Amino acid sequence: MNGRSSPSLSLLLAASAALLGHKDVRADESGGAHSVGYRFNVYDEDAISAPVTEGDPRRYHVDTQQFALDTALGNRNTLSLNAVHEVMSGSSPWYLVPGPDNKPLEVLSGATIRDHRSAVTAAFTHDAGNNDTTSFNAAYSQERDYHATALGAERTLPLSSALTLGFGGSFSHDLLRPTDALLYHRVERAQKNTASVFGSLSWVLSKDAVIESGVQLNYQSGYLSDPYKLIVVADSLQADTRPDSRSEAAWLVRYRYAVNADAALHADTRLAANSWGQHSLTLALAWYQHLREGWQLIPGLRYYTQDSARFYAPFFATPDERYFSSDYRLGGFGAVSANLDVRKRFGRWELNAGAERYHATTGLALDSGGAANPGTVSYTRLFAGLDFHFD
Amino acid sequence: MGCPCALHVEADAQAAQRALAAVRVECERLDKKYSHYRDDSFIAQLAARTGESVEVDAETANLLDFAAALHAQSDGLFDITAAPLTRLWDAQCGRVPSAEQIAQALRSVGWHRLGWQRPRLHLQPGMRLDLGGIVKEYAADRCAQLCRDADIDAGVVDLGGDLALIGPHRDGTPWSVGIKAPRAQNRASARIELPRGGLATSGDYERALLIDGKRYSHIVDPRSGKPVQSFASVSVVADSCLIAGAAATLAMLFGVVRGGAYLRELRLPHLTIEDGGNVSGDITLRSP
Amino acid sequence: MYSKKKSPACSANLRRSLALLLAAAMLAGCASAPVQPWERGRLARWDMRWDPDPLKAAIDNHTYFSKEGTTGAIGAAGGGCGCN
Repeated sequence: MNGRSSPSLSLLLAASAALLGHKDVRADESGGAHSVGYRFNVYDEDAISAPVTEGDPRRYHVDTQQFALDTALGNRNTLSLNAVHEVMSGSSPWYLVPGPDNKPLEVLSGATIRDHRSAVTAAFTHDAGNNDTTSFNAAYSQERDYHATALGAERTLPLSSALTLGFGGSFSHDLLRPTDALLYHRVERAQKNTASVFGSLSWVLSKDAVIESGVQLNYQSGYLSDPYKLIVVADSLQADTRPDSRSEAAWLVRYRYAVNADAALHADTRLAANSWGQHSLTLALAWYQHLREGWQLIPGLRYYTQDSARFYAPFFATPDERYFSSDYRLGGFGAVSANLDVRKRFGRWELNAGAERYHATTGLALDSGGAANPGTVSYTRLFAGLDFHFD
Repeated sequence: MGCPCALHVEADAQAAQRALAAVRVECERLDKKYSHYRDDSFIAQLAARTGESVEVDAETANLLDFAAALHAQSDGLFDITAAPLTRLWDAQCGRVPSAEQIAQALRSVGWHRLGWQRPRLHLQPGMRLDLGGIVKEYAADRCAQLCRDADIDAGVVDLGGDLALIGPHRDGTPWSVGIKAPRAQNRASARIELPRGGLATSGDYERALLIDGKRYSHIVDPRSGKPVQSFASVSVVADSCLIAGAAATLAMLFGVVRGGAYLRELRLPHLTIEDGGNVSGDITLRSP
Repeated sequence: MYSKKKSPACSANLRRSLALLLAAAMLAGCASAPVQPWERGRLARWDMRWDPDPLKAAIDNHTYFSKEGTTGAIGAAGGGCGCN
């Protein structure tokens, strides 16, 4: 939230800019140029409700800690540093087998996975004023079997008083070294590269509303299969085998509407498609309600639907395809989730907390085609955190 | 400018003379253009061309935009079309205006009756603009900038008590400036140290009507036609005299309660003095 | 004997949604009178930002990216993990 800046003063400054010959006055303050935050998140998947032939039905649990530091460097530059530490445990879907009536049954990896991941991100932004910004970012992520490095750059430019253009790109290089590779005949070492570009336009529709439309294109190449998943093909178990490249395109529209002095509505929608034959639609709504004494209540709803990749099936009768995967993420399903966040400001401190409940099944998909995959996920997420604003 | 003006600079004699000449030219230019009292001003010309759509230059357009912003921020209390009303309540008339006179004046008052679509201005017959609330402070800032452009870095522009700092003393020390005391001409109620920025004071003490012991401020609410009950004086320090003046004027228009809250929310150094003598604000007060 | 056949209805449904969204976005793009600088107070509010809560946006994107098949938000690329 706006730290210690005065909205009335900002308005006066903006209104007087032309008279005083200032070219760089903005009507907004970025608020909280110096701040530090900590957040603890818990992710807990529901046990698989469908029958399981083998393995522990309890699924994934992840505890994530986030640290964020934002600082201004001079008048026009900001530096953001983020660190994440995750601890994962639980079992994961391994493969599906045909059960009675040919309905798929899940086999979960027996051994409890226990792993952790650490990542750091740094972003530097130079603000020339009037919505003209340039930023650079870099990220590094590491877990026992996976290392990833990424670099990116972005730019925003005002095209007119109401229109802003944004564009940028990033590149990521990932290195994979699956555990127990020799034991389970997994690939020992593999890599994956991702390149992505995006372009966006944002419009100021009125003094109460803004809308943004953007397109993102990704290209991935390298080892894209999941080394920990198997699939039943004919009567034998084969490794999850996916093509070694994938292109994706996504179109995102975001809308923000200030309903009144105390409330705002957010509506986001996204359409995506990839070269493996998948399409998806996401719809998200959120309501930001300011209550007295610095309380904020933010309920939200999200609907997601996707269809399946060309080479997806719970299991294959005949090995007539080069690629095969039974990973539910390549299948058709729909998901709804509801969440509620709460924030409370105490002077320079701000407490935040929230909960989300997410439920995915094949039945919720828009096309509702394809067989049910018992591996679709339902989960609960909780978080609590504290921010401190230095100014 | 309709008030005593002074220029204080620390510079060699030649530079000082050049600066004084530039400032004088600029003040005369602005006075000629925007004076409420002259018949040959641009304002007077606009008043003569009511009913038609007039194209104004960039400087006037910027001033009108600023006035529009203040009108919006003050819920209509700040209104540069209110001249017919303020004239009624001017001390020189010596009597309280009647209800008919107020109603008559109100018919020609109202920003909403004005057509302002940059760069075209349309005034209704009977309307007259009064930019007095912003031009003086704007002039102070302009003159300070002209001095800086002439390589003068130390000085103060003083237009009738509204100050724009050119820069601190050459040795870096701030200027010691006085804030006028209400109802006591030529005496300062406070002195403050200012290294840069602007100081503006809004007050009713010079032009208020005093009839039968009752004081009628010349600060009028353009919506009702009646004077507002407000501070005796408000002084604000800001990065520019324009902002300081706008804040002081809005605080006066808002009245004691809302104006006080407004000044506190702005977090600018300010000083307010009420009719009963009550002083508040966080400009350091030192007896002169 | 189970083999995968993609339902023809799915692509048609999504194509229809695409057309509707495109129309809505184009209508929304017709801006009315320009917004003056002093009217931008509301737009500058914290709850009017694209991402008022960057930490939440980051972990949401990461979670959905790991648990769903398709890719994420604008400019969010970069920083992979072993999850997809």
